[in-house]
Amino acid sequence: MNLEVRNLSVSFGDVKVLDNVSHIFRAGKITMLMGPNGCGKTTIIRALVNLYAGSGELSYIPQDISGDTGLTVRDMVALGRYDKSRFFQGETEEDSRHIEDALLQMELNDKQGQLFDTLSGGEKQRCMAARAICQDASWFIMDEPASNLDPVHSKHILDTARELVKNAGKSFIIVMHDVNLAASYGDEFVLMKNGTIGNTASKLTAELLSQTFDTVFESVTTPSGKNVFYAE
Amino acid sequence: MRAPDKPSDRFIIKFTVAAIMLFAVMAVSCCLGSSGTSLSDVIKYLTGRSGELAQTTVTIIGRIRIPRTVTAALVGGALASVGCIMQGVFRNPMADPSVLGISSGAALGAAIAIVTGLNGIIFFGAFTGAYIGAVIGAVVTWLLVFTIATRNGHYDTSSTLLAGIAISSIMSALITVLMTLHLDDMERVYMWMLGTFSASTADKTELLAVAVALMMPVLIFIAPRVDILKLGKEAALTLGVNQKTTLAVTLAACSCLLAFCVANSGIIGFVGLIIPHIVSFFKVTRMRRRLILSFMTGAVFMVLCDTVCKTVVAPGELAIGAVTSLIGAPYFLFLLMGSRLRRGKEKISS
Repeated sequence: MNLEVRNLSVSFGDVKVLDNVSHIFRAGKITMLMGPNGCGKTTIIRALVNLYAGSGELSYIPQDISGDTGLTVRDMVALGRYDKSRFFQGETEEDSRHIEDALLQMELNDKQGQLFDTLSGGEKQRCMAARAICQDASWFIMDEPASNLDPVHSKHILDTARELVKNAGKSFIIVMHDVNLAASYGDEFVLMKNGTIGNTASKLTAELLSQTFDTVFESVTTPSGKNVFYAE
Repeated sequence: MRAPDKPSDRFIIKFTVAAIMLFAVMAVSCCLGSSGTSLSDVIKYLTGRSGELAQTTVTIIGRIRIPRTVTAALVGGALASVGCIMQGVFRNPMADPSVLGISSGAALGAAIAIVTGLNGIIFFGAFTGAYIGAVIGAVVTWLLVFTIATRNGHYDTSSTLLAGIAISSIMSALITVLMTLHLDDMERVYMWMLGTFSASTADKTELLAVAVALMMPVLIFIAPRVDILKLGKEAALTLGVNQKTTLAVTLAACSCLLAFCVANSGIIGFVGLIIPHIVSFFKVTRMRRRLILSFMTGAVFMVLCDTVCKTVVAPGELAIGAVTSLIGAPYFLFLLMGSRLRRGKEKISS
């Protein structure tokens, strides 16, 4: 299932955040949603959630969780298995299996009894990712899933995403600020600017980045032959 | 490698212990009061053998002791449950039943009834004017808070919290004004605001029991969704949980419970704030289980406090609000210090 927004406009009071945006997010890909702060990335994915949440095919990872949850890591991940049609039935064996696999995948299995509120920022993000993984929906919409992660865990979460696309046929929309991580993991790139989609591409270039961010980006080849971008 | 076994919160054991304690304290509370009654008398009354008892004993047990104890248990349980849900909904450990402003609204309704003399009139054969006034006051406040917090069809938790606190202070200010204008009724209004179970009757208790029996299942049913909402509005939506309807149902059920609690026994602070935190020390985290244990713990606690109220200075009475704070706060501080000590002191050395 592709996700589509058509002629989407959103404004908060007098401030127009999205202006007539149309795009089809293709299934089976990792789509990187990029752009400067305040260009409407979060608004567009929230709109997607509101449009498609009813299908049950979406899982969403917000930028952060506000306030005290009072829940343990395991409780938090287990929320991904919530099914409102089961009124008082507890966790099934299948649920437990999904939860434990997700905890292992995000390396949180030794923290499952700890309170979510006492985790570090990066651990919280891994916990939220684990929650989405055990939800087992076909689309993952992630709002800056690596903003608090160290380089190793950032790569790990994106490796997991790539694995889920290849082996389980999942699809991802990821809001990402790290241009080099985005470039090496993304299949498609949606570059936003001032509430519109400026460019779409299947390969990130220094020119596209320069246009999007109004800054000069250069591409450099490392001794091992990899292309990296850096901003002037 | 498999993940270690899931940590169990031993809910069933904790629930059973709480249930046994509740029965025990209720039985003891039925026996104690300004005149002594033996446990066997209470059991005789409950098993339908009241013919073997003296007429005065039957009256004391049936008309005074049992309604009062049951009311204390229901009010304690309901207040603690509402507090537990509020802390989850607002994701704020300082939230308690008073943040909705319902208690103050109910108190204002009762105060108006008292100063206008409506309190002397008995409605429906069983309810005083203050009781009816409290229910009306609660409903009016609830409608006010909900209207203010719902803008453009969007429901906003922080607006609810702020509107509730603001309306609560307006209501309290109005009560103060009323009391100043009617100094002769001041003592009665004041006693009412401090809270007491001494005015419990079988009719009021039955009505409260109906309210609790209707609203608690709603809260127990909806509790897991309160957990889901902690993920944020959008993530909750992907799990099929709509923030607006969930909050509307939750807060309506809480308001209804609060209205009847306050109408029955006045404003009793502290229980709704502290009992959910005490339940946290029992290491139960998921909302549905927390809620059920909060109800049981709140009921046990309130019956205990009421027993102290009616025995310590018998035949006089202490205000229940003072006793809940005097017993609950030190116990809570004790638990808090214990948890700090266990965690250990942070050391910074260079």
